[in-house]
Amino acid sequence: MTTPLDAAEPAVQAAGSGDGRPAHRGTLRYALSKAGGALLSIAMVIVGTFFAFRMLPGDPVRALAQGRNMTPEQLDLERHRLGLDKPLIDQFFDFVGKTLRFDLGTSYEYKRPVVDLIGDRLGATLLLAGAGLVIAVSLGLWQGIRAGWRPGSRFDRFSTGVSLVLWSVPTFWLGLLLLMVFAAGIGPIPGIFPTRGIESVDAPDGFAYLLDVGMHMVLPCLTLAAVIYAQYLLVMRSSLLDEVSQDYVTTARAKGLRDDEVRRRHAVPNALLPTVTLVFMRIGFVVGGAVTVEAIFSWPGLGQLFYEAIRVPDFTLMQGTFMLLTVSVILMNTLADVVYHVIDPRVRSA
Amino acid sequence: MTSVAWTRRRLAFGRFWDTFRGQRPGVIGLAVLVVAVVLALVAPLFIDESVTSVVTGTGAKMAAPSLDSPFGTDESGRSILLMVWWGSRTSLLIGFLAALLSIGIGTVIGIAAGHFRGWLGAVLMRVTDWFLVLPSLVTALVLAAILGGSTLTIIMAIGVTSWPSTARLIRAQTLAVEARPYIERSKALGGGHWHITTRHVLPNVAPLLLASTTLEVASAIVTESTLAFLGVSANKTSWGTMLRGSYDWGAANAGAWWYILIPGLCIVAVVMAFTLCGRALESVLNPRLRKAGA
Amino acid sequence: MKKLFARLAVLGVALLVAGQGQIAHAQEPAAGKKIVRVGATQAVDSMNPFLAVRLVSSSIHRLMYGFLTVPDPKTLQPSPDLAESWTTSEDGLTWTFKIRQAKWSDGQPVTAEDAAWTFNKVMTDDAAKTANGPAAENFESVTANGQDLVIKTKEPQASMLENPIPIMPKHVWEKVTDMANYDAETYPAVGSGAYIAVEHKKDQYVKLKANPDYWRGAPKIDELQVIFYDNPAASIVGLKKGEIDLIGRLAPPDFEALKGDPNIVQWNQQGRRASYLQINHGATTSDDKPIGDGHPALKDPKVRQALHYAIDKQKLADEVQGGLAKPADGSIVPPMYTDFFWEASGDTKITYDVAKANQILDDAGYKKGSDGVRTMPDGDKKLEFRFSIHTDTPIEDKLAEYLTGWFKEIGITLTTKKLDSSKFTEETGTTALFDIAISGWSVNPDPEEVLATHLCSRRPTPSGEGGGTESFYCDETFEKLYQEQLKELDRPKRAEIIKKMQERLYTDAPVIAIYYPNDLEGYRKDRITSITPIPEDNGILYGGSGFWPFYTVDAVAAPAAGSAESGSNTGLIAGVVGAVVVIGLGAFFLTRRRKSVADERE
Repeated sequence: MTTPLDAAEPAVQAAGSGDGRPAHRGTLRYALSKAGGALLSIAMVIVGTFFAFRMLPGDPVRALAQGRNMTPEQLDLERHRLGLDKPLIDQFFDFVGKTLRFDLGTSYEYKRPVVDLIGDRLGATLLLAGAGLVIAVSLGLWQGIRAGWRPGSRFDRFSTGVSLVLWSVPTFWLGLLLLMVFAAGIGPIPGIFPTRGIESVDAPDGFAYLLDVGMHMVLPCLTLAAVIYAQYLLVMRSSLLDEVSQDYVTTARAKGLRDDEVRRRHAVPNALLPTVTLVFMRIGFVVGGAVTVEAIFSWPGLGQLFYEAIRVPDFTLMQGTFMLLTVSVILMNTLADVVYHVIDPRVRSA
Repeated sequence: MTSVAWTRRRLAFGRFWDTFRGQRPGVIGLAVLVVAVVLALVAPLFIDESVTSVVTGTGAKMAAPSLDSPFGTDESGRSILLMVWWGSRTSLLIGFLAALLSIGIGTVIGIAAGHFRGWLGAVLMRVTDWFLVLPSLVTALVLAAILGGSTLTIIMAIGVTSWPSTARLIRAQTLAVEARPYIERSKALGGGHWHITTRHVLPNVAPLLLASTTLEVASAIVTESTLAFLGVSANKTSWGTMLRGSYDWGAANAGAWWYILIPGLCIVAVVMAFTLCGRALESVLNPRLRKAGA
Repeated sequence: MKKLFARLAVLGVALLVAGQGQIAHAQEPAAGKKIVRVGATQAVDSMNPFLAVRLVSSSIHRLMYGFLTVPDPKTLQPSPDLAESWTTSEDGLTWTFKIRQAKWSDGQPVTAEDAAWTFNKVMTDDAAKTANGPAAENFESVTANGQDLVIKTKEPQASMLENPIPIMPKHVWEKVTDMANYDAETYPAVGSGAYIAVEHKKDQYVKLKANPDYWRGAPKIDELQVIFYDNPAASIVGLKKGEIDLIGRLAPPDFEALKGDPNIVQWNQQGRRASYLQINHGATTSDDKPIGDGHPALKDPKVRQALHYAIDKQKLADEVQGGLAKPADGSIVPPMYTDFFWEASGDTKITYDVAKANQILDDAGYKKGSDGVRTMPDGDKKLEFRFSIHTDTPIEDKLAEYLTGWFKEIGITLTTKKLDSSKFTEETGTTALFDIAISGWSVNPDPEEVLATHLCSRRPTPSGEGGGTESFYCDETFEKLYQEQLKELDRPKRAEIIKKMQERLYTDAPVIAIYYPNDLEGYRKDRITSITPIPEDNGILYGGSGFWPFYTVDAVAAPAAGSAESGSNTGLIAGVVGAVVVIGLGAFFLTRRRKSVADERE
C-alpha cells in the first residue's frame, strides 16, 4: 500500500491529544469548530482542483474533443459552452458555484453529467469498500488484541509477520494472483469464483441474488482486506501494549480479576479508541486500494470510473471523481474526530 | 563540532547499534537491503541497458526457466533475471528519491510548524492535515496524469502526496525537544530561529527521520509499481513496469508464472526489508515501543 | 462475542440452505433459451447512437437499428437495408431511396419520415453530430415523400451508399430536446434491427432480445448479451470457463492463450486495420505556411526512403504482433478489401536492407559523426528524431523499441515520446509537434474516408483548428486522383484510381505502412454452433462492418436442467465453502476461548 504503516500514529495523536485546545470547550462547540475545519478543507480541495486542472497543457477544448473532427465553429461553440472564453477569475467563480450546486460538468467520454455517472457507481464502491473495511478491521483488531496481549508469543510473531508480508504486497499483484488461482483455477484448485463484475448477467432474484453478489465479492474483498488489515493490527497491538503497562491494569490484576476479564473489561476498551479513529482516518487509503481492485475485477464502481477517466483521459470526469473521493474522505475524518471526542472521556476532560 | 560532541555521538551510535542488533527481523531486513542496494549499484559493471532492449533479446519468447535464463524470459525473449536486476535500479532510485523528497518537505514543514507557534504553525498544521486525509494514491494518479509520465514526475507525484505523516511526526518531536530547558538557555543566549532549528532540533529528530525514511522508501516502491500498473510510468524498466508488461502481454494466461512472480516477489522482499528495518529502527529509537519486541 | 460467532454460524448455515434452495429457481430464466454472450474489453460510452463513438457501442447499435444500406455479407458492396432500392440523378447530386415496408419494434411502421428526421437532426443539431457528423456534411437537404427519401448533396458523393448513420424512430426521438445530454436509457429501446436492447447495466453488460418482427426474419437465437471486462486477462479466463461465448479484437498474446482448448475456436483472419508511421515531412497549414517543429531532414524524401528501408516489417509482424499480422508492402488499405488493396512489386517494392538505407543517406550527404549519429549535410544538426506514441499501449511501446534499435544502425537516434490520446491527436494532427508518429486506421468497406485524411484540405487552418489530417500531406497528384475517384461511379475503374493513390503514398512516404494486424477472436464451439463472418469467406465476427455475424449466429439452447447443473454446482460449492469457512471460524474462536479460559482458571 502507499503510506507508511506508522503514519497512523501521529494522526491518532492529533485526534487524541488536541494540542492547544482550550480545556473546557463543549462538545457542540468542538463539533462546530471541526465542521468549520472540514469546510475549509473542502474549500481547499475545490480551489486546488480548479487550479491543478487548469495547469493542464494544451487547449482543454481540444483535449475534450479527443481528436474527433471539429470545425472551428464547433470548437468556439464548445469553448463558449464550457465558459472557457471568459477570464480566469470568472471561470473560477463559475466553477465554484457549479460545484456547490453539485454540478460537476459533463463527461466528454460518456456524454452524461459527472454527478449521474458517480451516482450510478457509488453503491458498488460502498459495498466493496465497506465489506473490505469490515473484514480488515475485524481481522486486524482480533489479531491485534491477541498479539498485543501476549507480545513475543508465537501467535504475535506469526500474525504480525503475515500482516507485514501482505502489507508489502502491491494490491494489483495480489488481486491478479487471486484471480488466476481462484477464478481461473490452477491444478487441483477449481476456479469457482467469477472473473468479473458484481453480479451475473442473468442474476437470479431473492436470496440467490445475494448469494450471487456474495460470490462476486469474495476475491475483490479479500484482496482489499488483505493489504489494509495490517495497519489495524499493528496499531491495535501497540496501543494495547501501552495500556498493559498502565497502573490500572496492574491494579485490576491485583484485585484478582481473571486475565481474560482484565483484557476484555479494561485494557481493550481503552486501547480500542485510537484504533477506531484510525479506521476513519485512513479511509482515503481504502479508496486508493479500491481503485486498483475495481480495475482488476471489473467492479462497476467509482474506482473503475476514475481509472477509466485516467486512461481516456477524461479530465472533467477525473476532476469530478477526484473531488468526490477527497471530500468524502474529509467528511469521514471529521465525523471520526467528533465521534472520538464524544466517546473518549479522556479527550473530553483534557 | 567539538571532539567531545563527536565522541558522544560515536558512543551513542555504538549503543544504538547494540540495541539494533538485538532486533532480529530488523537485522535480516538490513541484510536484504544492503544486498539489494549493492546489487543495484554494481549492476553497470556487469550488464548495461541493452538487457532491456528488445532488439538484442534473442531468447525464445516466454521461455520457462532454464540454465540459459534461470528466471525464464519475457514476451520478447529478454531474460527476466537480467531485467529484474537492471530494473531494481529504477525501482530503488524512484523509491529513494521520492522518500527523500517526501521527508524533505515533511521535515521542513514539521519543524516549522513545531517551532513557530501562532498563526504560521496553525496554517502549516492545517495544510498538513489537509494533505494527510487526501487519498494519496488517487492524488498521485491525478498529479501524474496532469504532469505526464517521466521519472521526475513520478517522484514528484509520490513525494508530494506522502509527506504529511512525516511532518506530523517531526512536529510532535520538535515540540518535545523545544520543551527542554537547554533550548530556553539557547534562546536566552541569543540563538535565532535558524540556530535553534538546525543546531538543536534537527540533530534530535534526525534518528527518527532515518526510521521514517526507511518506511517511506518501502511505500514509495509499492506506489511506483501501482502507478506503473495503472498506466503511469517512466519509459524505463522497473519492477512495476515489468509487472505491467506481464499483464499487457498475457503472461498469466500463457502460464508464464515466472514473469509474474519474480518481479512481484522482488517488490515484496525489498519492501518487507525496508519495513522491517524501519520498524526496528523505530522501536530502538522510541523507548515506548522497545518492549514490544517486534 | 460468543453471541456474535453464534450468529455468524447461523448466517453461514442459512446461506448454505438458501443457496441450495434457490438454485433451480436461479437458472429458470435461462432454461431452454438460446443465449450468446459476447465479451468486450470496452464499456459502452452511450446508448444514444447520435453520441456514441466507441466501437462496442456502434456494434450494438448496428444490431438495434437499420441503415439505408449495409455491406453485402459476401462482397461487402452496398446492399439494400431499410432502403429497398435507390436511384441517382444525372448530375449525381440527388439520391432517391425507397424505404422498405417494415415495422419498428413498438409496432409503428418505418417511414421515409423517420430517415429524413434522422439525417436532418444530424445536419442541424450540433450535439447530434458527435458520432457521425461528417457523414452528413455534404448533404444539402433531406426530405421525405411517402416512402421515398430524397437526399440532395452539395457535391457528388460516391460514398453515399456507405452511410454510417442508423435510422432512428422519429416518433420516439423527436421528443428529445437536449440531445447532448440524452442518454437513451429507456428499455426496451425502439428499433428496427435484428435485436431489441432490453437492459443496460453500466460498466457491466447490455442485454439484447431477438426482434421477432425483424423484416429479414427473427434471429436464430433468443438473446444476445454483451458483457464488459475491464481486465483483458480476466476475459480470457471468462471465455475458457464459459462465462462468455465469444470475444473479439484480441491482442496477439491473449489469442495465443486460447491455443489447445478443445472447446474454443481460434478465429484468425485478415483485419480491417492498417498500421503505419506518420512522418512529419514539413507540415503546413491549409494556407501552406509551415507549422510545428518537425525535423528538417524528414523533408528530404531520401531520408524517408532510408527509414523505410531500415524497417524490418516481417520482424515487426512476428515480434510485435506475434506473427498474427501481414507485413505491409502496400499502403493504407488493408488486403481484406481485395477490390481496393494495392501492393508494391518489382522495383517499387522496398524491403528491409540496412546497407541500402545507409547507402542512401551517405549519398545524400548525411555524414556520420564520431558518435555514430548522422548530421545534416548543410549544418551540424543531428538526425535525432522523436517517435510519438500513445500512453498505455504495449504494442506501440514494443514497436518503438524495435524502431529505435534499427534506426540506430543507420545513424539515426530515435527517442520515444508518450502522449495521451488527446494530446497525441493535437500534436500529430494539428500543431505538428512531432517527427515520426504511430498511426493507423480501421478502414471501412469504402476507403474514401481514409484516403481523404491525406488531402490538402484536411490540414489545420491558419488559426490552428484541426481538419483531421493523418499526415499533413498535400500533393497535387494525390489531390487530382482523389477528385477523379470521387466522380467515378464505375466501381472497377474507381478501384484503379484508388490503387494509384496508394502507390503515390507508398513512394512519396508521408506515411509508411508497417503491417496489417489480423482480426483475432475466439469463440466456444460447444456453445456457438454456427456463425457467419463478414465477408462470408474470410471475415470478421465482432467489430466488423456489419450486423451479419450476430444475425446469423446460432447457439446451443441452455438445457432446462443441464446448464443449471454446472451453474448450481458452482453455487453449491460456493455455498458450502462459505458456510464451512464461517462455521469453522466461529467454532475455532469458541473453542479457543474456552480453552484459554480453562487454562487461566488453573
